[in-house]
Amino acid sequence: MAARVVQNERTTTAQHVARQPDGPGLRIGKRGELTGIGKVTADGARLFRERLPQVLAEAAYWENRIGTVHDFRIFLFDNDTRILFSIVYDGDFKPYVADLIREVSPWLDQIFGGVWEGYKSMKDPGIFDLVQNAKVEAEFFYAAFPDVTRRDIEKMQRLNNAVSAMLDAAS
Amino acid sequence: MTQGLNLADIQATVLRNRPMPYWGAYVFMKITDPAQARELLSRLIPKITTSADWQEPNDQSWINIVFTHVGLAHLGVPADILDQFPEEFRVPMAKRNVYLGDVRDSDPSRWDYPFGTSDLHTALTVLAPDRQSLEKKLEIGRIALHGLTGVQVIGQLDVGVPSNFREHFGFIDGISRPFIEGQGGMPLPGQGEPFKAGEFFLGHANELGINAKGPGPQAFWMNGTYLSVRKLHQNVASFRQFLRDSATNSSDEEFLAAKMVGRWRSGCPLALSPDIDNPELAKDPRRNNAFAYYEDDPRGVKTPTSCHIRRVNPRDALRNSIVNPRLHRIYRRGVAYGPMLPDGVLVDDGVERGSVISFVNASPGRQFEFIQSQWVNDGDFISAGSDKDPIAGNHTDNHQYTFPAKRMRRRLAGLSSFVVTKGGEHVFLPGIGGLQWLAAGSW
Repeated sequence: MAARVVQNERTTTAQHVARQPDGPGLRIGKRGELTGIGKVTADGARLFRERLPQVLAEAAYWENRIGTVHDFRIFLFDNDTRILFSIVYDGDFKPYVADLIREVSPWLDQIFGGVWEGYKSMKDPGIFDLVQNAKVEAEFFYAAFPDVTRRDIEKMQRLNNAVSAMLDAAS
Repeated sequence: MTQGLNLADIQATVLRNRPMPYWGAYVFMKITDPAQARELLSRLIPKITTSADWQEPNDQSWINIVFTHVGLAHLGVPADILDQFPEEFRVPMAKRNVYLGDVRDSDPSRWDYPFGTSDLHTALTVLAPDRQSLEKKLEIGRIALHGLTGVQVIGQLDVGVPSNFREHFGFIDGISRPFIEGQGGMPLPGQGEPFKAGEFFLGHANELGINAKGPGPQAFWMNGTYLSVRKLHQNVASFRQFLRDSATNSSDEEFLAAKMVGRWRSGCPLALSPDIDNPELAKDPRRNNAFAYYEDDPRGVKTPTSCHIRRVNPRDALRNSIVNPRLHRIYRRGVAYGPMLPDGVLVDDGVERGSVISFVNASPGRQFEFIQSQWVNDGDFISAGSDKDPIAGNHTDNHQYTFPAKRMRRRLAGLSSFVVTKGGEHVFLPGIGGLQWLAAGSW
């Protein structure tokens, strides 16, 4: 049985961790997490590292178009026999699956195609079952500023730059 | 197949335009005897109005029939077929309320009967250009029901155009609609590339290049579709009071109303006439929808990015994101209920008034529910934080509306929920062939 939280001065800023209302993973405020583990194919690790420089160089392009992802990490582990991906993002996941499949398949296929056992393409109807079977819900999740989205941060940056430019002009 | 849709197999609600003026009714029914319900269907099928000749119908009035998921079960459709329906249709809309923003005043526990209960199994939808024609169509339903005690009428919601021929907030509505491949006729300026028929009817290729299908045999779902039905109470007095409190004078009230919706009350789009209303333009179907945003107004100086029409139909505005609005388009069919609040009245009279809106979509999760959850009740997709649709959003925790204005942005505080959900359900609108399959009961 889970132990109860002992209320003290350090628990007053506790975050409310919930499940995604419509999709996999945990959620704090506007921030969600999605983690999955799969097997690596026989030649998968070599293929993955061969493509890595290109997919890494294109990461910011694709993620800017998606506009909601804060962190995206991929690990090959257990002597390159298993793959783990972990994404922290804003808002809901499931409603955007159709758009992701349509728009981001070329990039995700370069990352996972031939690497993750069972992965054929983002466009393959079996992708839902594959992700469903791979998902591992986080036991622990903390997010800084859970109600500030990536787009909010972009907006604050623009505002900060504009205010700085104005102050520079005035000084 | 799409080239030339089989319009005689598609129920009228999808393509027939609302007559003006209009009178109508929803007759809600509960099934206790499957055989009698199928007998009702057999009697009704020859009378069900289709989309054939939708542009110039001989009869301006129509009668259609829809089913809820629980209703199909009571009709006797086997569980292995019912289980294959999409989750959004299988799970009552009342159970998806948090995701859809139906909380607090819009909570399903406060919905009007029979919404939010398991009693709503099937419903007749009737629309007509005058009371006499409406009565004739309702009589068809009464005659078909004669002697069938296993199908009970559990309620009726009468609808009809308010006396000013507008929706209750005072806007002319129903101007913009998608053009569907194979529907016949030509698209109007602003309708853009025709949509694949599979976005709106099962049995056809959709915008993902996939053939949209339903569960069970093709005979059941071919040319059928889902209607995401919403009964929405409109707080007209509080909307008017909000405009009065926020505006500097009466013409500013009209300006603010237009900035919240994206069109002047005449229907004239801000995109084409941003500073003054142009009712003549609004009447011209070749001009009143002929606009886009990406090149012409990316920041929303004319049509605010956060206003109602730009949220629910962003047209080409999201070109820099992965979201393709063609995957999230609905065909909106709206009618009003309740009497108009007399002009100038700013105090609620306690009378029920609002709209019943049926959103036609072949994929309720990707279409209606996406729009409601991501675009109406959130603002992140347009970098507007938690701001919601100013007129259709549920303003439980966010009460502001901001739009670009000359020199400085303008922010309106004190938004309340001008629209309150009083009912909602995804219902299935089979094709005529689907109705025959249901009536036969030989699953």
